[in-house]
Amino acid sequence: MLRPEQMRRLLIAAPKGEIDTIIRELYRHNVYHIEDFVPESESPEALSIGHPLPEASDAASALIKVRAIENACGIDPDNVEVREKLPASKVRAMIRTDLPAILEEVEGLVGSRSRLEARQKEHEQRAKELEPFAAVPLDLELYRGYTRFTVFTGHIAHDVVIDVPHEKYFSDKVDGNMIVVVVQTEHREQVERTLLDVGFQVIPVPEGTGAPADHMRAHADEVQRINGEIAAVNGKIASVCDRHTDFLVACDELLTADVERAEAPLRFATTEETFITEGWVPDDRADRIQEALERATNGRIYIEELEVDDDARVPVEYENPSFASPTQVLMDIYARPRYAELDPTLMVAIVFPIFFGLILGDVGYGAILLALSLGLRKFLKGDEGRMLLKVLSIASISSIIFGILYSEIFGYALPWPALIFSRHLNIGASAGGHGPEITGLMLLAIWIGILHITLGRILGIANARKFHHGRHAKKAIIANAGWIGTMWGILLMIWAFYAIPMMPDLTGFPVAIAVGVVLLVAGILGIAQENPLELVEIPTIISHVLSYARLVAVGLSSVAIAMVVNYIAIGMMIQPQLEAITPIGVIFIIFGVLVLFMGHALNTALGLLGGGLHSLRLHYVEFFTKFYKGGGKKYNPFGMKSKFTEE
Amino acid sequence: MVDVGMTLEMVEASQLGMRALGAALAVGLTGIASGIAEMTIGSAAVGATAENRDVFGLVLLLTVIPETIVIFGLVVALLLLF
Repeated sequence: MLRPEQMRRLLIAAPKGEIDTIIRELYRHNVYHIEDFVPESESPEALSIGHPLPEASDAASALIKVRAIENACGIDPDNVEVREKLPASKVRAMIRTDLPAILEEVEGLVGSRSRLEARQKEHEQRAKELEPFAAVPLDLELYRGYTRFTVFTGHIAHDVVIDVPHEKYFSDKVDGNMIVVVVQTEHREQVERTLLDVGFQVIPVPEGTGAPADHMRAHADEVQRINGEIAAVNGKIASVCDRHTDFLVACDELLTADVERAEAPLRFATTEETFITEGWVPDDRADRIQEALERATNGRIYIEELEVDDDARVPVEYENPSFASPTQVLMDIYARPRYAELDPTLMVAIVFPIFFGLILGDVGYGAILLALSLGLRKFLKGDEGRMLLKVLSIASISSIIFGILYSEIFGYALPWPALIFSRHLNIGASAGGHGPEITGLMLLAIWIGILHITLGRILGIANARKFHHGRHAKKAIIANAGWIGTMWGILLMIWAFYAIPMMPDLTGFPVAIAVGVVLLVAGILGIAQENPLELVEIPTIISHVLSYARLVAVGLSSVAIAMVVNYIAIGMMIQPQLEAITPIGVIFIIFGVLVLFMGHALNTALGLLGGGLHSLRLHYVEFFTKFYKGGGKKYNPFGMKSKFTEE
Repeated sequence: MVDVGMTLEMVEASQLGMRALGAALAVGLTGIASGIAEMTIGSAAVGATAENRDVFGLVLLLTVIPETIVIFGLVVALLLLF
C-alpha cells in the first residue's frame, strides 16, 4: 500500500549441467524477473551470452505451425474462454499425433478457398470485359475474321458522324459509352482520326462466339455458384477450427512456454562450465524460490542476495488492496511509479470515483453505465479492458450515490429535494424552485482543489527524500513546503479582505494579513532557494485551484443537456399531443420518443467522457505534477500463468 | 447618453440582457478558443494513434487539456447568470 512491492536482487550461479532444471524451476514459480545480461567486451575471457537449449528449434517450428492454423481460423488465445484445462502430457502427445493432420486439413481447406476465390475473380473480370459489348446487338463472332473491313470497338465521349460508307452502333447505356464502327480497310486511317478527336479508347473484343449478354449471364451464374462453394468451405474451416480451438490454444500456450524456456539462456551470462543470472524476486517469495532451487539442484547452485543500488533498475509491481487494483490501469496510462517513490494508486482509487460522481451525479446515467460496465465484461476479454470496466463500475456506483444526494434522475428530480447542493437548472416552462446553488457548488469545488493540491505537495515532501540525497533533498523539501506556504498565504490574505461563504471569515482579524504576507514571502523564498526559475510557475497556484471548478461546470452542462432534451422531447413534442391524439400527433409522439432516446444516449456518452476524462485530468495534470515522477520498469516475471493447460 | 425616457424596469431589463450577452460571449469565445487548440492536438493525436495504438489513452487525455479554457468560460458565465 502506497509503496510498490519490495524486491530482492538475486544472483544465481550454477554449473551448466543444471541449467535445464533451474530454468524449469524458475519458470514454474513465475516470480523471477530476469535482468538481461549485456556483454561488456568481446574478449574471450569475458562472460558471454548463453546458447539456447537444443529443443528450441523444434518447439519454435511447431509453434509456427500452430500460429498459422490459429491465424487461418482467426483464433486469438487472449479472447478464448477457458472451457477445461488439458493435461500437458496429453497435449504433448497430441502435438506429435494430431497436429500434422489438423494442419494438413486446415491448409487444404484454406488452399481450396483461395483457388475458388481466384476463379471467382476471373469470372468477374470476364463479365466486366463483356459488359460494354452486351449493349450492342451483335454476336461476338461478327467482330472478327474480315479481310477487307476494319472493326473499331471502344469507349467514346459522344456519338460521331462518319463521312465514309460504314456500319455503326452507339450506346450510352454503359459507363463511358460504347461505339462499334465497321469500315472498309482503305478508310481506316481517316476514321481512326475522326474517332480519336472525340476521345476514342479501344476495348479489345473478348474471345468466344454468340451473344455477349448470354456469356455475361453465364459468368454471373458461375460467380454465384462459386460463392456458394466458398461459403461451404468457410463453414468447413469454421467447424474444424471450432472442434480444435481448445487444443490449439493449449498447444500455443505449451509451446510458447517451451520456446521461452529454451531461449532463456540467451538472457544469461555464461563461462565455459557455468552460467550466471541476475534478477529480481518479490521480498515475500524470495526465500521460497531459493529453497526450491537448492532442493531441485541438490545444492549444486550458488545464490547471493545483492544490494539494491539504483532504484531505476528495479522492476515495479503494484501492491494494493483488491478494490484499488483496477485503478492501476489508470496509473499505467500515465506512468508506472518508480521503485522508491510513493505509489498513489490508492488515493486515485478513492478520489477518482468521487470526482466522477460529483460530475455525473445522476441515478439514471449511473445505472446505465453500471449496467454497461457489467454487461460488457462478458465481451471484453483482455485484462486491461476488464480493469477499466471495473473502474467504470465503481465510478458509476459513486455516480448513483451522488445522484441520490443531488436528487437527479435523467435531469428530473427524485421525490426529495437535493440533500447537498442543488443542480436543478430553470429550464423549460414548468421550471420552479430556487434554481441551482452555483456559488455553493463552486466553493465546494475550490475547497476540493485546495485540499487535493495541498495533499499533492505534502506527498511531494515525502517523495523528496526518495528522489534526492543530502543537501538537495533538504532543498526539495523546503521548496515543496514553500509552495504550500505561498498558496495558504494567498488564501489567508483573500479571507482577510473578503468575507466568502463557506470559507473562514477573517475580515475582522488584521493579524491574518500579516500571517498571510509572512507565509507568502517565506513560501516564495522557499521556492526560489531550490530554483529561481520555478517562480514563473507561481500563477499556476491560482489556475490549478480554479481548474477544479470543472467538477461543477462539466456536471452542470450535462444536467443542462438532460433537461433540454426532456423539455424538447416531452414538454414540447409529446405532452401537447397527448391531450388530444390525432394521426399527425402520433407521428410527433414517435419522433419525440426518438429525440428523448437519442438525446439521453448522447448525454450518457458525453457524461462518461466528461466525467471520466476530466476526473482523470485533474489527477494527471493538477495532482501528479506536484509529487509524481513515474517511469518505473514493469515487473515481468519469467514464467506463465497457465490458462489452458495443467501439468 | 442617459435617455430621459427610460424607466427603472427598462434599465433593469437591459442590464439582464447585457448579463446574458456577457455570459454568451464568455462561453462562445472560449469555446472557439478550445476548439482551435484541440484541432491541432486532435489531428496530431490521431496520427500518433495510427502509428502506435498504445498511446491512445495518453493522447485522448492531451486532447482534453485545452478544454480548461472553455470550462473557465463556463464558470464565468454561470457566475454571471446566477
